[in-house]
Amino acid sequence: MMAKDHTLYKDLTCTHFFHQKSIFLLPKFPNSTMTIHTLLFVSLLIFSFIESSRGGNKDKFFTELQNSLEVTAKPVQDGLVLEAGKDMVTIKWKLKSSAKVDADDTFKKIQVKLCYAPISQVDRPWRKTHNELFKDKTCPHEIVSKSYDKTPQSLDWTVDLDIPTGTYFVRAYGIDGDGQEVAYGQSSDEGRKKNLFSVQAISGGHVSLDIASILFSIFSVVSLLVFFVKEKKKAKLEQRE
Amino acid sequence: MEVEGKGGEAGTTTTATRRFALPVDAENKSTTFRLFSVAKPHMRAFHLSWFQFFCCFVSTFAAPPLLPIIRENLNLTATDIGNAGIASVSGSVFARIVMGTACDLFGPRLASAALTLSTAPAVYFTAGIKSPIGFIMVRFFAGFSLATFVSTQFWMSSMFSGPVVGSANGIAAGWGNLGGGATQLIMPIVFSLIRRMGATKFTAWRIAFFIPGLFQTLSAFAVLLFGQDLPDGDYWAMHKSGEKEKDDVGKVISNGISNYRGWITALAYGYCFGVELTIDNIIAEYFFDRFHLNLQTAGIIAASFGLANFFARPGGGIFSDLMARRFGMRGRLWAWWIVQTLGGVLCAFLGQIHSLTWSIVVMLIFSVFVQAACGLTFGVVPFISRRSLGVISGMTGAGGNVGAVLTQLIFFKGSTYSRETGITLMGIMSIACSLPICFIYFPQWGGMFCGPSSKKVTEEDYYLAEWSAKEKAKNLHLASQKFAETSVSERGRASTHPQT
Repeated sequence: MMAKDHTLYKDLTCTHFFHQKSIFLLPKFPNSTMTIHTLLFVSLLIFSFIESSRGGNKDKFFTELQNSLEVTAKPVQDGLVLEAGKDMVTIKWKLKSSAKVDADDTFKKIQVKLCYAPISQVDRPWRKTHNELFKDKTCPHEIVSKSYDKTPQSLDWTVDLDIPTGTYFVRAYGIDGDGQEVAYGQSSDEGRKKNLFSVQAISGGHVSLDIASILFSIFSVVSLLVFFVKEKKKAKLEQRE
Repeated sequence: MEVEGKGGEAGTTTTATRRFALPVDAENKSTTFRLFSVAKPHMRAFHLSWFQFFCCFVSTFAAPPLLPIIRENLNLTATDIGNAGIASVSGSVFARIVMGTACDLFGPRLASAALTLSTAPAVYFTAGIKSPIGFIMVRFFAGFSLATFVSTQFWMSSMFSGPVVGSANGIAAGWGNLGGGATQLIMPIVFSLIRRMGATKFTAWRIAFFIPGLFQTLSAFAVLLFGQDLPDGDYWAMHKSGEKEKDDVGKVISNGISNYRGWITALAYGYCFGVELTIDNIIAEYFFDRFHLNLQTAGIIAASFGLANFFARPGGGIFSDLMARRFGMRGRLWAWWIVQTLGGVLCAFLGQIHSLTWSIVVMLIFSVFVQAACGLTFGVVPFISRRSLGVISGMTGAGGNVGAVLTQLIFFKGSTYSRETGITLMGIMSIACSLPICFIYFPQWGGMFCGPSSKKVTEEDYYLAEWSAKEKAKNLHLASQKFAETSVSERGRASTHPQT
């Protein structure tokens, strides 16, 4: 018995152990499984290289931008809450009168975006404001993007169907020839507390979907009961035999 | 793939009036495992049960890959999302414990199909939810279906004999867990197909949920129509005719919960399977938000975590069996502790990585380790108790979900910790909660750091200690006796094949 104990313990030395383990870490399944897994892994690497090589604006900060644009955004109707897909907002933008006359010479494009007010960012880290423009998630919804016109512009924009419920303001970015933001303007103040408007999203639900849910659910439960009854009958029959 | 067990005959076997396609033992349980066969009743039961479990996993984790859309439609906060994640795994804690008894009373076929069909409505009703509370409720009720894990293990244990039951259980569980990965691929693809047909974003995700719901319903039908509880027939017929002996439920339960090893496996499983469930819930959103990927790409990456289950969990089970052949139970324990601790280390690393490529690489390696640890857990569980096997399995399985609940409650609720910090802390907690494995000790085989007891306790002593003298007099302990005899293999090669 003692010899047995000793042998067992000896077998469990570290090097012995890891040598055994390394062989067994490889899957013992047919080669096709390994091939599929390798293919998946390689395609993931390719995807990730593609994705990570995008984004050349990594180094630009919001605080570096000039606040040289004047933007106003007013709901067309003075109701309290705008309905997505239905109500409209009048958006106007132009160079600030206080800015230098040629401040907008570098602008090639203007990009107007719908942005979350701080109250809609609470407890929602995917909408967080970051100083690095590449990371910033404050303004994910694009309203319009077009070549810059030095004259004052105006647009009546219908709130898109996929805009979530929340409180918003509008921001415009002046973009230079390299695709980099150089200036901005927003319809709210610096603290993003004034001149906000609220949007109520569509529910996305339909009566037909609700009816289908109910029908399929009833079908599932009823067929379960039918099976149970059948089983009981079968069991009774087999007992009699 | 074929796994051969010891004993059994090649070719067809006849027992009384029945012919089986696979070789069987005295209880008509199959002694081999032929993966590509659907022969009635053994392999058919295997394929039906893993597929049903797979569909339940797909439904339970159908929401996470679509969260970037759902959170905007329902105006969810991070707290709501965290609560829903907790809800999705907490219902199953209770359900898993009850499922063992349900299988005992009604048979695994009816018990599992009943659960699957009664939770399918929760999946269908996801299409109609309008608020955060609705979201939490549907995820809570759909999550009950994860208890089909217990019925899968129960059914495999009824159909396959000792030497192959570990592999059957491991592959069935692994391929079921695969659903948690497959859903991260399936749902974004279904969503974009429906969008292309003209639906708006906020309607398309709702329609998408009918797919997992339908699959869940159809898999339950398949189980009911084509499955069979036992090699000899269905449960109800046999129960009523008195072929199955019943044990005292109260004693079985008290015997199970008083065995400290069951509590340790429950805790440890909470930090391998629990970690797996947590990752299933958070990983798609993590990649979507942290690395600015689109929904499909984030889904593919998230899927690869769960898809490793195809070979990782079965591999863990097979590895456990291989370790046991050479080193016995001590080998199983060491393998389990090392693999699970390494999984925790990799998890801690994952949160610290800033590059997308390295995050994917580390996540893939981490997935293999954590899922293998799940397989290794159930290499040890069958030996903890013979009389209360169902209770120990149920406790361990439920412990897995408790771990997921706790982890999401502490680290992934609201905005207290960033997701990456949460992942690192989860890894550290995993390492800490794997340490109790060192305290599992079998007097007949030893533990990680100690050899077998000097009092020369045998397997028979250990397993028959679960029965009182009165019960032994009634011969209720005979199955445990048989089991004790076969479990001598857990002493390892040095003792069963002495080289003198």
